[in-house]
Amino acid sequence: MSSERELDLLVESLLSEPAYYGHPLREALARLQQQNLEQLSRLERIARISDGYQALAREQNLTLSERYHRQLRQLEKVARISDRYQDMLRDLNQALRDASQRDVLTGLANRRMLMERLREEELRSQRSGRPFVLAMVDVDHFKQINDRWGHEVGDHALSQIARALQDSVRGCDLCGRWGGEEFLLLLTETTLAEVQPLIERLRAAVRNLRVRHGEAELALTVSLGVAECRRGEGYSLVLNRADAALLVAKRSGRDRCVLAPAADAEDVTAGV
Amino acid sequence: MTELNIPGTQSTPTIHGDWPAGVLAMQGDSYPENSFELFGQVIDWVERFLREEARPLALELRLLYLNTSSIKALMDIFDLLEEAHRDGLPVSVSWHYDSRNERVAELAEEFREDCSFPFAILPFSE
Repeated sequence: MSSERELDLLVESLLSEPAYYGHPLREALARLQQQNLEQLSRLERIARISDGYQALAREQNLTLSERYHRQLRQLEKVARISDRYQDMLRDLNQALRDASQRDVLTGLANRRMLMERLREEELRSQRSGRPFVLAMVDVDHFKQINDRWGHEVGDHALSQIARALQDSVRGCDLCGRWGGEEFLLLLTETTLAEVQPLIERLRAAVRNLRVRHGEAELALTVSLGVAECRRGEGYSLVLNRADAALLVAKRSGRDRCVLAPAADAEDVTAGV
Repeated sequence: MTELNIPGTQSTPTIHGDWPAGVLAMQGDSYPENSFELFGQVIDWVERFLREEARPLALELRLLYLNTSSIKALMDIFDLLEEAHRDGLPVSVSWHYDSRNERVAELAEEFREDCSFPFAILPFSE
């Protein structure tokens, strides 16, 4: 820088020295100096324009990158919120499914779910050749409970019986409310002989229930009709036989369990 | 046309823009086939109001289910409000939700996250 400045000063002083006026070298030096100055200013202009372009490109790049990141953030947020809406819908779906398959009062499977499981069980039993047992359970003198104590007490009694039934069956069984004061137990991969202890346990559990109403306490019993699925038999036939057995139990004085005859081919054809 | 009236359907919310009152109300579910078409007019309405009026603009929302494109449209509307708020315009949102469904409140909170204008999330019971 300082050497350039020194050279400039030297050249200027040589050019302004009157003693060299008219000298041929002075003329050449003057032109050289002029050219040098022009090139310098041209270089400065180029640098200025180039810097301008660079700043512009940089700015544009920043705006683009800012916009890109803003959109990315928005997209992430949209996806997050959307996922949560979907979760909500899925849970709602599950709740609706539960509601459509559960009895509101007792929380047990309702008739719709029982039918669904009966169809599945029928197929499973036909495939595997292993039987299942259906037990139709009816609360004794339920109409009298309702009439005498009111529906609230009746509902309470049904809820307690439902819980006792549910607690008596195995995990693989299904206990549901068939309708009114009737419950249905679907006992899988088992036989009439095998389910008897379970039935006795269940009857004892119901007998031990005490439904309180003010000072009064009422005791409950149930009647049962139980049938085992025969080879190749559809579930509706088994249901009919369990129903028929239940009717026998009712007519014989209630608070008892009647087993449908195990190997009576005539009874099956009679059911058809 | 300063009135905005879009009757609701099973898949689209009822939308009512009351220009004199400065209120935009939307309620119902939103999973339209063409959300751009539906919310395009809402966004236009909001843009015009904010451009032409210096009065308060209040959004009254009772929205339940929103599909993804509706979520995007709603966020675009909130972005407009945010911009207006930064320019000093009095804008606000009230998001009403059924008190039995807290999850809608949580979702409204997600929307509110980036908004610095008044944004109330209010329970109602039927």
